[in-house]
Amino acid sequence: MAATRKKASAGAPAQRSLWKRILMNWQIYVLLLPGLIWYIVFCYFPMGGLSLAFKTYKANLGIWGSPWAGLTNYNFVFRDPEFFRALGNTIVISLSRLVFQFPVPVVLALLLNELRGSRTQRVLQTIYTFPHFLSWVIVASVMLNLLGNNGTVNAALGAAGLEPVNFLGDEKLFRPILYISENWKSAGWSAIIYMAAIAGIDTEQYEAATIDGAGRLQKMLYITLPGVKATVVVMFILAVGGIMNAGFDQIFNLSNPVVRNVSDILDTYIYRITFQSSADFSFSTAIALFKSVINFIFLISCDRISKLVGESGLFA
Amino acid sequence: MKALGKKKTVSLAPGEKSIDAFLIVTYIVLILLALAIVVPFLNVFVISITSEGEYVRSPFMLFPTEPTFDSYKALFADGRIWIGYRTTLIILGLGLPVNMVLTVCTAYALSRPGYPGRKFFMLFALFTMFFSGGIIPLYLLVKSLALTNSIWSVILVSGINTFYLIIMRNYFMALPDALIESAKIDGANEWTILFRIILPISAPILATVTLFYAVDRWNEWFNAMIFIRDTQMTPLQLVLRSIVIDAQMIDSSVLGSSSAASDSMVRFAQGMKMAAVFVTMAPIMVVYPFLQKYFVKGVLVGAIKA
Repeated sequence: MAATRKKASAGAPAQRSLWKRILMNWQIYVLLLPGLIWYIVFCYFPMGGLSLAFKTYKANLGIWGSPWAGLTNYNFVFRDPEFFRALGNTIVISLSRLVFQFPVPVVLALLLNELRGSRTQRVLQTIYTFPHFLSWVIVASVMLNLLGNNGTVNAALGAAGLEPVNFLGDEKLFRPILYISENWKSAGWSAIIYMAAIAGIDTEQYEAATIDGAGRLQKMLYITLPGVKATVVVMFILAVGGIMNAGFDQIFNLSNPVVRNVSDILDTYIYRITFQSSADFSFSTAIALFKSVINFIFLISCDRISKLVGESGLFA
Repeated sequence: MKALGKKKTVSLAPGEKSIDAFLIVTYIVLILLALAIVVPFLNVFVISITSEGEYVRSPFMLFPTEPTFDSYKALFADGRIWIGYRTTLIILGLGLPVNMVLTVCTAYALSRPGYPGRKFFMLFALFTMFFSGGIIPLYLLVKSLALTNSIWSVILVSGINTFYLIIMRNYFMALPDALIESAKIDGANEWTILFRIILPISAPILATVTLFYAVDRWNEWFNAMIFIRDTQMTPLQLVLRSIVIDAQMIDSSVLGSSSAASDSMVRFAQGMKMAAVFVTMAPIMVVYPFLQKYFVKGVLVGAIKA
């Protein structure tokens, strides 16, 4: 960007020095080249492929050769009840995650901090962070073993003389299971960022409070919690920015057709109509583009807001 | 984690009761939460080493009285798990070097100051975190490159993770300029600087990013599910999925119909399913406690500098 601007505004001498600077740094461009090609081929080329949303896909003509169709695809999208169900589920699940998942790592970090420096803390932290590194295929398998019709929990209920519960086949229970299992998998890992913020709090504050006779709970509420407030704000804004991603991996692996009414989000819907039924690539791309654009607007706004409140944005 | 250690003095500050009610409650809550994570894994492992007879008698036991490896024998005899291991190891063996070479070179180039276009290239990479073409154009691209049913589809599509790229670039940028400047005065070219000066002092970030990529490659399933249809090239995670989840979905869908026949069939398979779960996560479980600090370091570098 800087390069082109300079080229346009300055005269011949500046241009010569620009070429000179490019030549001087040719080795850097060589190092940059493989990455650049990768980004063009595997990121920007598919972005261009989103033009399919305004075309009628013909397999023999490919993305670029297929004829333009204007907004025809969106006429179908906006008359599709399944699209609106998926959109509604995406928003409801994402917002619920803000309520039921977002605070958990903060509380966990505050509690863990009470054990700071101890061996117990290190062992607990290792246990809490471990499930984050497993795929949702594995975690869903563990959950199915617990919650399936013939799973461990139902076996225990049966032994206690209680009726078995079809946890994963019940529309009322499915979403709570999403929030609980996501916390199970990721809350420990997310807590690390808050632990780091807590580590940055001036220790003199705690010493002064101790002298004034403050207890552990008081120190937690009046020193530690305000100390991580800035981090909490930034993380919250970032979480809002991801609102269109309601968790494909988790829902894809935990859900089944019985609970589709409450579990089908935009990503699972796009996957299903693209790869599991007779595919209409233009139609599913139209939905994908809709999702990407809304997602982009949210992310950019949240990045701006994050910078406005005086914190670093998403990046840089 | 060192910074946390330093604060030990605070909890032992004079005048503070070393044990109080609040601390006891905290301990109890935290240990219960740890159990909530450990017990489901333990249950998986126990079922995998339990005989069918004992499992039917008491499926929620914590320790089997007569451990057996029959489920593992059945799993390895089934054969799919070998295909899964082989495929995943190939993805790891070929993909990890591709990831690291692309990421190191790009991160280093983006960390160097004062060449024309630097800011543009940085934005070029960053923009992909905000906006993506999604899976359909990517699928059509892979298809048009004739990469479907090839292991390279999975490897090339996840060539660079932009978040890891930025973590590494920030690390390179934080290194003292004087090192590079003095090498340049001595006439060193960029790759000499990168390989002889930068990389030897970047071991922590290289370890962290390598580990992140390794875990990602190990957990590869979605791209493989879309790009690879050949059942002889199914990665481990998808083998597990076919053994556990596909079977269970049928189970959950036909709810209520727990007739004796289907019941015993499902239970017969349960030991093998859990053996598959254990075999899939065992490598991560074995290395994680030793490497945890590198993962933590990585996320902190990323969070503070990004």
